[in-house]
Amino acid sequence: MQKKSLMHSAINSVKGNLIIVGIVILIIVTSIIEPKFLTLGNFENIIRQFGVLIFVALGMTFVIMGGFIDLSVSGIISLVVVVMVSLVDPIGQVNAIIVGILIGLACGLLNSFLIISCGALTQAEALFLTYGMGLVYAALALMYTEGMTIFLSYAETPITIFNAIGTGSLGSIPIAFIIFFVCLVILFIIQRWTYIGRSIVLIGENIVASRLSGIPITKSVVFIYAVSGVMTAIGAVNLISRVMLASPVIGGAIGGGYETQAILAVVVGGTAMSGGRGSVLWTVIGALVLTLMNNSLNLMGVSSYIQMMLRGAILILAILLDRQKQISEGK
Amino acid sequence: MEKNNADVILQIRNVSKAFPGVQALDKVSLNVFSGTIHGIVGENGAGKSTLMKILSGVYKKDSGEIIFDGKKLENVTPIQSMNMGLSIIYQELNLINQLSVGENIYLGRFGIMGGRKGVHSNARILLDKMGCKIDTYKLVSELSVSEKQMVEIAKAMSYDSKLIIMDEPSSSLSVDELRQLKKIIFDLKANGISIIYISHKLDEIFDICDVVTVMRDGHVIDTRDVSDISRSEMISMMVGRTIENEFPPRPNCAGETILEVKNINTNKLKNAQLTLKKGEILGIVGLVGSGRTETVRAIFGADKVKEKKIRLQGEEIEIVSPRNAIDQGIAMVPEDRKVQGLLMRFSVERNISLARLASLVSFGFIRENEEKQMGVRQIESLDIRTPSPKTKIQSLSGGNQQKAILGRWLELKPRILILDEPTKGIDVGAKYEIYLIMKKIVEDGGSIILISSELPEVLNMSNRVITISDGEITGEFDPVQSSPDEIMEKAL
Amino acid sequence: MPTIIKKIGKRIRSLPNAFLAILAIFIVMLFSDTQFYSSYNLLDILNSNSIYLILAMGQTIVLVSGGVDLAIGGTMTVAGIITILLINSGVPIPLAIAVALVFGAFVGAINGYISVYQKTEPFIVTLGMGVILTGVAQQLTDARPISCSNPLFLRLANYRLFGQIPAMIIVMVVVVIAMHWILTSTSFGRNCYAIGGDYEVAQYSGIPVRRLKALTYVISGVTAALGGVMLSSWVNTGNSIFGSITALYVVSALVVGGTSTAGGVGSAIKSVLGILLLGLLSNAFNMLNIDSFIPYLQQALQGLIIVGILWLDSYSRKRKRENV
Repeated sequence: MQKKSLMHSAINSVKGNLIIVGIVILIIVTSIIEPKFLTLGNFENIIRQFGVLIFVALGMTFVIMGGFIDLSVSGIISLVVVVMVSLVDPIGQVNAIIVGILIGLACGLLNSFLIISCGALTQAEALFLTYGMGLVYAALALMYTEGMTIFLSYAETPITIFNAIGTGSLGSIPIAFIIFFVCLVILFIIQRWTYIGRSIVLIGENIVASRLSGIPITKSVVFIYAVSGVMTAIGAVNLISRVMLASPVIGGAIGGGYETQAILAVVVGGTAMSGGRGSVLWTVIGALVLTLMNNSLNLMGVSSYIQMMLRGAILILAILLDRQKQISEGK
Repeated sequence: MEKNNADVILQIRNVSKAFPGVQALDKVSLNVFSGTIHGIVGENGAGKSTLMKILSGVYKKDSGEIIFDGKKLENVTPIQSMNMGLSIIYQELNLINQLSVGENIYLGRFGIMGGRKGVHSNARILLDKMGCKIDTYKLVSELSVSEKQMVEIAKAMSYDSKLIIMDEPSSSLSVDELRQLKKIIFDLKANGISIIYISHKLDEIFDICDVVTVMRDGHVIDTRDVSDISRSEMISMMVGRTIENEFPPRPNCAGETILEVKNINTNKLKNAQLTLKKGEILGIVGLVGSGRTETVRAIFGADKVKEKKIRLQGEEIEIVSPRNAIDQGIAMVPEDRKVQGLLMRFSVERNISLARLASLVSFGFIRENEEKQMGVRQIESLDIRTPSPKTKIQSLSGGNQQKAILGRWLELKPRILILDEPTKGIDVGAKYEIYLIMKKIVEDGGSIILISSELPEVLNMSNRVITISDGEITGEFDPVQSSPDEIMEKAL
Repeated sequence: MPTIIKKIGKRIRSLPNAFLAILAIFIVMLFSDTQFYSSYNLLDILNSNSIYLILAMGQTIVLVSGGVDLAIGGTMTVAGIITILLINSGVPIPLAIAVALVFGAFVGAINGYISVYQKTEPFIVTLGMGVILTGVAQQLTDARPISCSNPLFLRLANYRLFGQIPAMIIVMVVVVIAMHWILTSTSFGRNCYAIGGDYEVAQYSGIPVRRLKALTYVISGVTAALGGVMLSSWVNTGNSIFGSITALYVVSALVVGGTSTAGGVGSAIKSVLGILLLGLLSNAFNMLNIDSFIPYLQQALQGLIIVGILWLDSYSRKRKRENV
């Protein structure tokens, strides 16, 4: 009986997600035009491209499920990257990474503290507060290195961990993927089965009713921003491992880079911007869709500019489809 | 009273309307005569608001005929029906808070009225005609509920309305404001304007209306002169059966004092205080805005206060958040279930488990089996009608939603249960079920604080009644001994 | 005596935060030994912010009616590029500009159609559109800045009326006055407030809500295109880097100034205050020559000011809610 309903819901979600169907078609078309697509090498390629973005997107999922948003991630990336790389020589790579993650955590905590202290309980308020803080973190990164880029490859102490994450594999599975997978499992467990995970979606659905029923608001808000900060920092580690340098503007300008892409992955994946409904799994699918699209279009020689246009178009398509789904559900 | 067809301003003939799964209106027919105040009563789900929405153009009827002022009403938009002279004033007040009084009265007609100057000068004339002194430049957000109603009436007047429908106009008014409204309604009548007056407050129907139509389950049961019908007849027509008692016998289990609350001071409350005995139902009587909800919210920790003192079973305790209150065994069913209680897209099960969720946690994880049992338990015990515990709560009826919320709090087996308007928007049948539940709670040793705008409800269910007015507790009564008038007087 | 102070205090507190912040900047700069108060500098501030101000005016009516337009950066960029490309291939300048404006209107119409008529979240729709346009911009220029071959075009933005008043400021003033007039004295503008205040109520009063709301996006698109044309004339490049950065900057400036993203609240003046505040801040920091960290500290302080003002806004709303 249970097996049947699992199949049922799988079919339903595929039916409901025309984008997946579209991507499957794209995969088929691409493999015909460019047989390189279906090789193991390409698969590894795809997994690696998955890279930084997925970590940020996973963190962003939690924030959006809770009915909030985090636009400071680009700034956090820049800040974590420069501080981490600058500390590799003085305190060793392991400690540097730990410090980097702590910085991500600290930024997240700071974000949540600001939001809670002024009683900003709407997504719009959180949007601009985190936007402003993002500017601050990005600026701190610039101030820290006085605008200069630090090269990890010039480090005098071992950078084996970064190398491993960047290019290493365990068997045929990239280490980066393993890290991602572990994070995914942990986050999914939290989201699905824990009290704090449930609290997050409850607050995203109706924060007033949740508060009046004793759900811990402050703890949940702190948690989602902490997760976002930590996941972003992990993404930063991933980033450094691949490009081997720390530029203070590597996160991109606030509003231009990672947060947009992360939101893209979250929305395309199906998590509602309004909160209360969503899953990290869906975000993985969304990120996968976008990455696959990138990869197959690259292989077919489509210009990166057109790819950008398609990304924007997919975002719009995704919410239009989601709207259709909502209408058919009778909302 | 002489009636001839020439005097009929509104004819509704065999109007039907169905929604998926329910026949909201079934061949409804009634006539409204010019210059009369026509009451409409019926339980929730009787079809009153569906009918009104068809009249005002929000819904489309499936079949039947409506003739207003000699003209057929067919597929009109809200603005068209307003232009024909049919206005409706909803309970939720259709005003734009961010705009001024004048602009609201002439909403959508800014240009036609000659811009800012024209809008405000004409609005001033209208308001003066009504004897209303509100400044037309004031923002609607700064007005009181009764002032907002005046603005709505002025808006209806600005369309030269011949028929004004008022949907539950008095639910948020003080006695003085209700008196003012009455005067305006009678003035309108004197000017030949007809009023349809929808209300749950049967006293007002008898007081204000000339004629009353009783609806039930999408049908018109009867239309009679108000002088020709008694309250119990009206109720039995509304309910379809004779209810000897609207209420169960009053429970009588009061024991020792369990709760003492003193010195609640906020911007609104002045030294509010109360005591509650174990097994007692304490009713709080007061007008909307008198501070009833503020008082219980202060006790529950939902609002910040300047000071307050709470003693639970002799011990002084601190409550700064709902979580604190819950931990102390205090529960509160909030006033507005849609905004403050329901998690619409979540299942009935998850709505029920909400307040006790923390107790279902081991090592951070939720014990979902126990959660399921919790849901089933409350669904059975309260007879909540739902296809399954996993159904999204938004598909349940109002009464069942309220029961689910009640179930959420009953799971806590609270020592003290605060009920703020527990039967609002619920039909008489379901209300009775809730009264029985209340009775059982106190018989099992719990205590209840009851707030309700329906005086009969408070007076019949409570063991003791306190009155509150303007943030101060003004009196304490035994509802058995004292008369409703005595009590109401202290509430003013 | 105390009551008068109370009254003055109340008056001060009711002034928009942005205005007070601007005042604070002016006061602080009084004590500085810089060229801040020179007419050259003040004029320059207005001039360099005129493009943002024009964008802000379009955004204001969008926000007031309850929407948001994050595509303005992309629209601006592509419009500028289109203008330059057309002029470079011989199209007369007025025609090229007209095409760019029509393009802006077209983008706005699409944004309006999708978010209003298809009832989807404008935040996402316009964000996506901005990404699409950024891609378009890069495609058109191969991600390299392009310049205009017609010197006449470049003179446009730098033209000074009577030798004194920069053309850009004149255009900006016209646009600001126009939007102010629309928002306060036309039924279109007042209806937009109604739509932003309560969509359904506005609808029931016969206001053509969808048409008007979609129209606000068209206006926003046109102002963005106008800004793009002016920008490319001013700096002689069509550059593809702006994207959603601009949009967020403008929207936050407006929110800081007091125009709310919730709709129904705001005005042309408040939006001007918001943009000017951020612009004056930038200028003041430049003047004060904040060490060798100028650009970086400035950005940090800019972020802090945005956070600060918005934090205070939210905090005062919280106090009002608590009513203690």
